[in-house]
Amino acid sequence: MPLTDMPDFAGIILDDFATRNAMRVDTPVILAAEPFLDMAGEDLRRRIFLTENERGESLCLRPEFTIPVCLRHIETATGTPKRYSYLGQVFRQRREGANEFYQAGIEDLGEKDAASADARIVADALGCLQNVLPGKAFAVTIGDQAVFEAVVAALGLPAGWQRRLVRAFGQTDLLEAMIARLAKAQPVAGLSPEVELLLEAGDEAGLVAHLTNEMDRTGYLTNASRSPEEIVRRLKEKRHLAGVSLDATKLDALKEFLSINVSLRYAPGVLADFAKSANLPLAKAIEGFDARVAALGKAGASLADITWRAAFGRPLDYYTGLVFEITVRGGHDVLVGGGRYDRMLTLLGAKDHIPAVGFSMWLDRIEKSLEALR
Amino acid sequence: MTITIGLPSKGRMKDDASAIFERAGMKITSVGNDRSYRGRVEGWDDVEIAFLSASEISREIGNGTVDFGVTGEDLIREGLAEADKRVEIAARLGFGNADVIVAVPDIWLDVETMADLGDVAAEFRARHGRRLAIATKYWRLTQQHFSGSHGIQLYRIVESLGATEGAPAAGQADIIVDITTTGSTLKANHLKVLSDGVILRSEACLVRARKPEHEGNPTVGRIIEAVRSVL
Repeated sequence: MPLTDMPDFAGIILDDFATRNAMRVDTPVILAAEPFLDMAGEDLRRRIFLTENERGESLCLRPEFTIPVCLRHIETATGTPKRYSYLGQVFRQRREGANEFYQAGIEDLGEKDAASADARIVADALGCLQNVLPGKAFAVTIGDQAVFEAVVAALGLPAGWQRRLVRAFGQTDLLEAMIARLAKAQPVAGLSPEVELLLEAGDEAGLVAHLTNEMDRTGYLTNASRSPEEIVRRLKEKRHLAGVSLDATKLDALKEFLSINVSLRYAPGVLADFAKSANLPLAKAIEGFDARVAALGKAGASLADITWRAAFGRPLDYYTGLVFEITVRGGHDVLVGGGRYDRMLTLLGAKDHIPAVGFSMWLDRIEKSLEALR
Repeated sequence: MTITIGLPSKGRMKDDASAIFERAGMKITSVGNDRSYRGRVEGWDDVEIAFLSASEISREIGNGTVDFGVTGEDLIREGLAEADKRVEIAARLGFGNADVIVAVPDIWLDVETMADLGDVAAEFRARHGRRLAIATKYWRLTQQHFSGSHGIQLYRIVESLGATEGAPAAGQADIIVDITTTGSTLKANHLKVLSDGVILRSEACLVRARKPEHEGNPTVGRIIEAVRSVL
């Protein structure tokens, strides 16, 4: 049986975190499964350890720390800004590696200055890794959902397409398939003559009345799911998009942007050049991006070790800006993953908008690197 | 080594499967009386029959308690993780046809494809304060189709073990993933299948557990050959 002792370098991490102005918290190991499934979707169900209590409520073994740390923050109604750290066991069903392992990390909640909070979290993660794996060189990859969203918006694509593209961000195959589809017009088919006439005439009220009648006739509850208004609005939008296809220049600009993969030292120049050559108004996104690069320099991170990959993102709707991963230089194992999740706390029930950024270290993978070092 | 074949213990599936084996020169007789759950094959002394409930057959093939089984491909792919690694579909038998499909209410005029559904799912929480709910008993197939093939992550599964087609009208779920043969139940419940919403075209199959001891066993090959020769 494999040992599940806490790694012997856990103390180094905790000492390091203590110097980074973060309050150490612990959370229960058995947690309500609902928030995890709600945030990450059904796909997570296969990867967590689920059980039920006598009342039929779904419980799971803690699959990660970010959600419980945020929930705790909301419940204790602590003011912001506030930084938390954690170190403990998490439980996941994995094809490779043990099903129970340790993670440690920092969550930075409520800091309004996004650029410096981003820079600080990357610098914290790098600094801590350097303490645990002294003498190792690391490679940081960063992505930025905000810049991608800005590019998509600046291309002047219809809103429906923008949302689809943003949703596929970070999933290369899906995004490519979607871009290919945008190159062709998508007719709306299968509507009855009655609906066609109403749609043609732009008779929104008529369409809503038609749908309400249909729901009535077929015994559908009108308030349980999508309302007639919602269906009609999207139908109109879809009909509007049906005749449009993405022109080749915009398509090329999008592809060119997604192929950017450059050292952070040169990234601001590359991004500015792209905006200029594609003739896109990206000033605000560039400002945010450049501010982060400057803040990273100020926080003491070596820009030469950081690469910006424009297509790098995570396909969950609470990620909003920075995402990053750290590996040993030349290695494949992701030792640290992190990012900005400004939408999560509101989704979890916080009344105020609380910006948030954090990272998590995979202690089992760090241990493997450490063994290689010895 | 005795080869065990798991067959459905009752109903159309049992009759249709028995008929195919008989045509293949493998006449099945029950051991003892007609209600017995064991059977044998006339002239095949190293083959025995285990009559099992249809839903158990995929599990028994999966853990190798039976060598062959006749069951729907839907139950195999739903019941077993990495099905293709663990079992081989030796023959498709041409009966028990049924499609596992994604269906939405007829009145969702704006939803024709999985991409449309992706749009709806993405905005669902903001509009309704909850994720899009799918009624189904096919957890695995639903996840593979939605998350794996179409990149749709944000939905919730509401387990439904019967009368799934009624769930949207009753407000228990928004859409369904279910099995359909003629589509008439869907129609009666005012549901439509998405144009790319067929997850699996299922039929009854002769399925073999991938066991190392089958290697070089002549009976295993003969059974497959006999069944294939009459299809």
